[in-house]
Amino acid sequence: MNAIEAKSLQKVFITRRGFWRQKRKSTIAVEDVSFQVEQGELFGVLGPNGAGKTTTVKMLTTILLPTQGSGSILGHDLVKDTREIRKHIGFTFGGARGLYGRLTAMDNLRYFAELYALDPLYSKKRIPEMLEMVGLLDRSDDRVETFSSGMQQRLHLARALLHNPDVLFLDEPTVGIDPVGARELRQTVKSLQQAGKTILLTTHYMAEAEELCDRIAIVNHGKIVAMDTPSALRRRISPESVVEITVSQENAVVIEEMIKKLDGKLRMESISSLTEQHYSLFTPEPETVLEALSPALQTRSIQGLQVRNQTMEDVYIAIIEETSLNA
Amino acid sequence: MHNFLRFARQQISVQLQIRTFNLYSLLLFFIQPAIFSAVGMVLSRAAGNAAPDLVYTVIGGGILGMWSGMVFTSTYDIRSDRRDGILELLIASPTSLRRIEAVRTFTNITASLVSLLVAVGAAVAIFHFSFNGINIFRLLLAVVILLYSLWCLGVFLANFLAWSRLSGSLVDFLELPMAFLCGFMYPITVLPQWLQGISTFVPVRWALQALNATLLKNQEISQYWFHIGMALLTATIFWLTSLWFDRKVHDHIRLTGELSSI
Repeated sequence: MNAIEAKSLQKVFITRRGFWRQKRKSTIAVEDVSFQVEQGELFGVLGPNGAGKTTTVKMLTTILLPTQGSGSILGHDLVKDTREIRKHIGFTFGGARGLYGRLTAMDNLRYFAELYALDPLYSKKRIPEMLEMVGLLDRSDDRVETFSSGMQQRLHLARALLHNPDVLFLDEPTVGIDPVGARELRQTVKSLQQAGKTILLTTHYMAEAEELCDRIAIVNHGKIVAMDTPSALRRRISPESVVEITVSQENAVVIEEMIKKLDGKLRMESISSLTEQHYSLFTPEPETVLEALSPALQTRSIQGLQVRNQTMEDVYIAIIEETSLNA
Repeated sequence: MHNFLRFARQQISVQLQIRTFNLYSLLLFFIQPAIFSAVGMVLSRAAGNAAPDLVYTVIGGGILGMWSGMVFTSTYDIRSDRRDGILELLIASPTSLRRIEAVRTFTNITASLVSLLVAVGAAVAIFHFSFNGINIFRLLLAVVILLYSLWCLGVFLANFLAWSRLSGSLVDFLELPMAFLCGFMYPITVLPQWLQGISTFVPVRWALQALNATLLKNQEISQYWFHIGMALLTATIFWLTSLWFDRKVHDHIRLTGELSSI
């Protein structure tokens, strides 16, 4: 049984304008989204602003009703079994909204523990545990309105985990968090997956998606335009690696002679500065290129050398540009 | 039942902390009723009364404080939850919004009772209002029925506010006329028949008629029970309507996406 299943989900918002002569305007937020997430999987959803990521999450968390299509969480139908689904899912939305500022962190969690009908003995133990997990135990008696947005974001995660849900939806969980906090949060997300949670994560940060997710779906204009593992997505764009070389201007001629001998095995881009020449060599055979350049490496004519795969960002931008052109 | 009581205790505690004990409530429960009472006394004198009628001026001001407590807090709660992104979290929790609203409104109404108590205190201490000859049982029952009427109306309005972002404007528009139709600060009988006809549907009007007449000691017992019965009946209709409406609201806001402010 899949933990999360979406079948042709669609969400259309209808807005009305005018008083006497009302004009209806339909906005398609999600056009056609289908995917399955296995239990224990960490599934990422990437996409530009307005692509339909958050709307998809809101449909899967029963906050919104789909206009068309169907879906299930742990086998429970999204439309018919909302109450059952709500017991088994936790979710956070990006940003600092969604907490009572005048209450302390502890009181906020106590309240949500009651909304989820947790046993008092369990919540008495669970709340401090969750606060400790997100690094807020020492601030538990402070009002939330005194918290930074990063702290509020962490408190959201504690709230989402209070009832120990099987499935977790994290909508841009590291938005507004400093790099150290974001790294800690990513670590927490990893440990949650190791503990067997199924996680659906939306993010704008490619490195985050690449680091955390087992599979990634790229969403644009309300549709999934690519879905695979991060490495397969990279291969899908191009199987080439990139050999980056930096040489001084006086050695540029020698290096270019070497590169010319590899004609047909690579594609070259170069950037010139007053003192240096930078080459990006896109090749499916980086080993052959390195071998050809080895004499220059031995004579230390090359100042800088790096071999890298195409990044998730390269992949993301290529897919979004391609699908935007086709749209 | 045990779970509900535990939830209710927590909800009341949250409600008191975030809404009741703040400067806004001070204005709502004490300052505003005092202003209404003062205006009531001035109008009463202008109408040629030698001594102001304390039931319709001072105590009436206190009841208007309760009304404001019910309207403002029940509608303000939903508005601020929508603005702060909390309404989505409440809807997506296993506890129904109906249950949350029921306890919230109960807390708001009960807290606003302080407004009436202060008004009665002022009537006794400053204006020498006397309880001699007043049937205390009937008085207390009328207060309980008034609270019930306000609660039913509050639950209904909170539900209505959840329906759409625009419903708040409509409630703002209707709230004050509705209050005046209840006869807080004058006998309902001074209104034209057609206005009295409209007010038939407002439960608070009946509860107030029972309460005011008990305080004024000028009512037949059969009339008292008729007013109590009408208050119970109309309030219960509002409550049942809100129960029926609740499911529709739940589906409607999830369909339209009106759960959040943006």
